[in-house]
Amino acid sequence: MPPMTYDAIVVGSGISGGWAAKELTEKGLRTIVLEAGRPIDPAVDYVEHVPPSEKRYRGMGNRKQVERYQPIQRHTGACDEWSSKFFVNDLDNPYSFPDDKPFYWIRGRQVGGRSIMWGRCVYRWSDLDFTANAREGYGVDWPLRYNDLAPWWSYVEKFVGIQGRRENLPQVPDGEFQAPWPLNAAEQKSRDILLTKFGGERVITNARLAVLTEDHLGRQKCHLCGHCARGCITLSYFSSINSTLPAARKTGRLTLRPFSVVHSVIYDPAKKRATGVRVIDANTKEMFDVNAKVIFLNASAMESTRILLNSGTSEFPDGLGSSSGELGHNLMDHIMDGGAVGTLPFATDRREIGNRPDAIYVPRFRNVKTKHPDFLRGYGFEGRAYRPGWERGTEMPGFGASFKKSLSGDLGPWEMEFGGFGEMLPRHENHVELDPHLVDAWGIPALRVSCVYSDNEKKMQEDMVVSATEMLEALGATNIRPFKQDNPPGLVIHETGTARMGRDPKTSVLNSHNQVWDAPNVFVTDGACMPSTANQNPSITYMALTARAVDYAHRLLSRREL
Amino acid sequence: MRRREVVQFLGAALALPFIPRGAQAAIKLGEELHLRLGDVPFRTLNRDQQALVTNIAEMIIPETDTPGATSVKVPEFIDLILTERARDDERDAFLAGLRDIDMRASAMGSPRFITLPAAKKVELLTALDAAREDKAGAGLAFGRLKALTVYGFFTSSRVEQEILKMQMFFNGYQGNVPFTPAV
Repeated sequence: MPPMTYDAIVVGSGISGGWAAKELTEKGLRTIVLEAGRPIDPAVDYVEHVPPSEKRYRGMGNRKQVERYQPIQRHTGACDEWSSKFFVNDLDNPYSFPDDKPFYWIRGRQVGGRSIMWGRCVYRWSDLDFTANAREGYGVDWPLRYNDLAPWWSYVEKFVGIQGRRENLPQVPDGEFQAPWPLNAAEQKSRDILLTKFGGERVITNARLAVLTEDHLGRQKCHLCGHCARGCITLSYFSSINSTLPAARKTGRLTLRPFSVVHSVIYDPAKKRATGVRVIDANTKEMFDVNAKVIFLNASAMESTRILLNSGTSEFPDGLGSSSGELGHNLMDHIMDGGAVGTLPFATDRREIGNRPDAIYVPRFRNVKTKHPDFLRGYGFEGRAYRPGWERGTEMPGFGASFKKSLSGDLGPWEMEFGGFGEMLPRHENHVELDPHLVDAWGIPALRVSCVYSDNEKKMQEDMVVSATEMLEALGATNIRPFKQDNPPGLVIHETGTARMGRDPKTSVLNSHNQVWDAPNVFVTDGACMPSTANQNPSITYMALTARAVDYAHRLLSRREL
Repeated sequence: MRRREVVQFLGAALALPFIPRGAQAAIKLGEELHLRLGDVPFRTLNRDQQALVTNIAEMIIPETDTPGATSVKVPEFIDLILTERARDDERDAFLAGLRDIDMRASAMGSPRFITLPAAKKVELLTALDAAREDKAGAGLAFGRLKALTVYGFFTSSRVEQEILKMQMFFNGYQGNVPFTPAV
């Protein structure tokens, strides 16, 4: 197959790849998006309105099938009877880890990537986050600050459409918000109580979500079916399929090629530039090249780094971008699975109508104004107040007509859940490398992952349990059930790092505009680029960094500097 | 008789026999149930087990002015889960637990659970309900049977439509709506 030539290549069509495609095409560049997985047809693949009664196992999942083909993916709740098709086949997409360092790598290979089943939570960072590495001596300093990124957050937020409540909290700055849904009666009462009892330090606010409460740019407002991870036929939540890829297509300059597994970046040592990428057709396994002036790697954090590691040259034998020795290192995730659930004593005469996609957020309150003695950085809580309805019947005592009537006609008391999401420190020893003995279904070397939580994260997780319990006690909750699970990293599905940005090519892979120091026409704008994770959900930051990097790349191209 | 009709008939039949009656009548009913259940293509539960599971499921969620567990085919759902989804050790533990339930019934003076007088059935299920967290035996089987009955019932098409009145489109979210339990 003769090489194809475009102005720009985007590897990956997920949340950041969609943004790269939109921005590049809207700036006039003929762009090809190479997606390793299959195309998605929303009319067929979106199944958010299929009720449990129409699924063979009523939503309990085809356990034997996922255990056989998705032994890693099955660990995430969204890999269920409706949505397991959006997660990879682990047999085709292997990776390895040391026996004592398990890592759950949760992946989606299809047009839209994981933007189809992402959690949709979007929070800005503050300079508390951007300066943390430098202040505390972990990793490298971020090469930018809040004011560098704020206009780009605004830019992407206006396109994405985000419901949120303005709180004027410095640790999670407000953004461009649509009107929020109201808190439910139990959440509102809980917010009022906690504001008083914790002096305004612990704030229950609306989860800031990339879900529309108002019609927006041709997409309809959310109809509150409550099953976002299965797709959305009204395009109400943001995904690259629902939003950025259609915008790119509208320019007439987008070529989207599914089933295109990128093997490596092709580097010309004479020009000190990449000339394109080497691709394997996922169906025919035929190898071909695509050439372009500029390349955006948006294959997801570890996949983009895998491509770079697999792009070694005589000049960079350990992979393109490896001259600092940091390529593949400083892998991070968040830490979760610490918190508590309790039964609230109030609002028993109130209920909800409509299934909100998500509910509440308690922004970070540790190490904001005062230093915590046991750990650095912080965590926020996601959660909700809910009445369990009939589902409580699987565990509550009783049987017979009165039991049935209670499950059918009552909703049970309000339960409040707080589940923490905490920052993981960047550490050089947490890393990925190519496994010399393992290849995927297309013969491409697979990754070997070595990553563990440190004591800092474990102490933070213990504190999540303590502070969640404190809040429930302050609310007068009964039947408080603290929880803490010892899950391996990866399961939060916020894997970041391995090709970090920085100020110095000796200690970082990318510069402040996401350019690979060693190959300036290659940009990495997915999670790989992050020097730290903060505690906030990361995707909106990838989007902002991508839009900013494309703007920069376009200026360089206009000046013929790439 | 078509399968659907069999199951519906079975539901109606099971709604009645919890009225106390003599042992002979109870045994006769059990035999009738065996015959009717013979038409249903269960793959894991044998006819004795089908009768037991059906009887207990209907006692957990009985037919009232709305459908009960049997009429929405909860026993078939349980058989499906046991056949296609349960691990061997889970299925074995469940089936062993069913045997224990019948042994408990035997200790109460009846050959099997389904032939116990209604009051005795309630007495035994009340005891098993208190033991549903047990790791083995009759308590474990009842706990799993109860969980699957509740789950299978409320995820059935009829219940989604007639009781839960499941809705997929809302014009807006309301979080503070007055509510009075209908119990």
